[in-house]
Amino acid sequence: MIVCVAVVGHQNNPLYIQSFTEADDALKLHHIVHCSLDVVDERVNNPRKSGPTLNETFLGLLYPTENYKVYGYLTNTKVKFIMVTTDLDVRDADVRNFFRRFHAAYVDAVSNPFHVPGKKITSKTFAESVSTIVKSFGFSSAI
Amino acid sequence: MGREVSESCVDSLLTEMVSTYCNRFYANKPELAARRIEAIGYQVGHQLSERYTMERPRFTDHLEAIKFICKDFWSELFKKQIDNLKTNHRGTFVLQDNRFRWLTRMSVDPPQGESQDNSADGENKAAQATSMHLYFPCGIIRGALSNLGIPCAVSADISNLPACSFVVRIKV
Repeated sequence: MIVCVAVVGHQNNPLYIQSFTEADDALKLHHIVHCSLDVVDERVNNPRKSGPTLNETFLGLLYPTENYKVYGYLTNTKVKFIMVTTDLDVRDADVRNFFRRFHAAYVDAVSNPFHVPGKKITSKTFAESVSTIVKSFGFSSAI
Repeated sequence: MGREVSESCVDSLLTEMVSTYCNRFYANKPELAARRIEAIGYQVGHQLSERYTMERPRFTDHLEAIKFICKDFWSELFKKQIDNLKTNHRGTFVLQDNRFRWLTRMSVDPPQGESQDNSADGENKAAQATSMHLYFPCGIIRGALSNLGIPCAVSADISNLPACSFVVRIKV
C-alpha cells in the first residue's frame, strides 16, 4: 500500500504532498520524503554504473527503512516525484508504471493555463487522479 | 495519444494575438507589446516541454537539450525538424528553419505611392510587423529551454524570408 506521495520542484520546494494513511503520521511521512531528497541528489550526481541505466527518469529504490520503502523519479525538468510504500516486496515494473501515470497526471495539472509554475498544485482533479492511481497500485494487471 | 489541432486556427490565433497586443492594448508601446507576447510564448513553451520530455531520459548537457528542441520539439510543433543548427561551442546556437510555418503566409502590403521613399518605408513597416510575429516562437523556445534548466535569451533573424533563424544565447 502506498502511504505517501510527493511532488517536489527543482529548488526542492514542495509542490504537492499527500499521505494516504488513517493514522496520524503525516509529519513522519513528510520527514521521510524530506530525507529522500538528499538521496535523489546523490543518485543524480554520482550515478552508479550497476544501477538503472544512466539518466533514466526512474531512480529506483532510494532507501528502505524498517517499515517503508522509498522510491524516486526525476523528470527532465528537474521535478522530483517521491513515493513511500509499506509493501516490502514490490515489483519494479509496478513502480515504474505508477510513476509513469503519476507523471502524466502531473503534466496534465501543470498544463492548466491557470496553474502558476513553481507554486503548489491545488487542482482537485489532480488530487483525485493521484488518489485513483495510488489505489490501483499493485493491480497493474487489472488496468 | 496525439491530439490534432487545426493549423489555420493556430495561424489565426497568432495573427489575432499579435494584432490585439500591438494595435489595441499597447498601440504606442511596441516594446511592451513584444514583451507581453514573448511572455505568453514562454508559458506555452514551458508547459509543452514538460509534456514532450515525458518519456525520455534526462539530458546530460546543453547540446542534447538543444538537439531535442531541433528535432522532437520542432516536429511536434511544426511537423518538421530544424534544417540547420550552428554553434560556436561557447553558448550560442543558431537554429535555422528554411520554411518557418508561421511565416509562410506572411505577405507584404504593396506600398501606396510610387516613389522610392514610400516603398522603402512600406518594407520597413512590413519587416517590423513580421518581427512582431516572431516574439511568440522566441518565447516558446526560451520557455522550453528554461524549463529544462537552461536559462537563455532568444532572438529571431529574418533576413531572407520565409527562412528564419533563431539565435539562442545561453546565460552563464
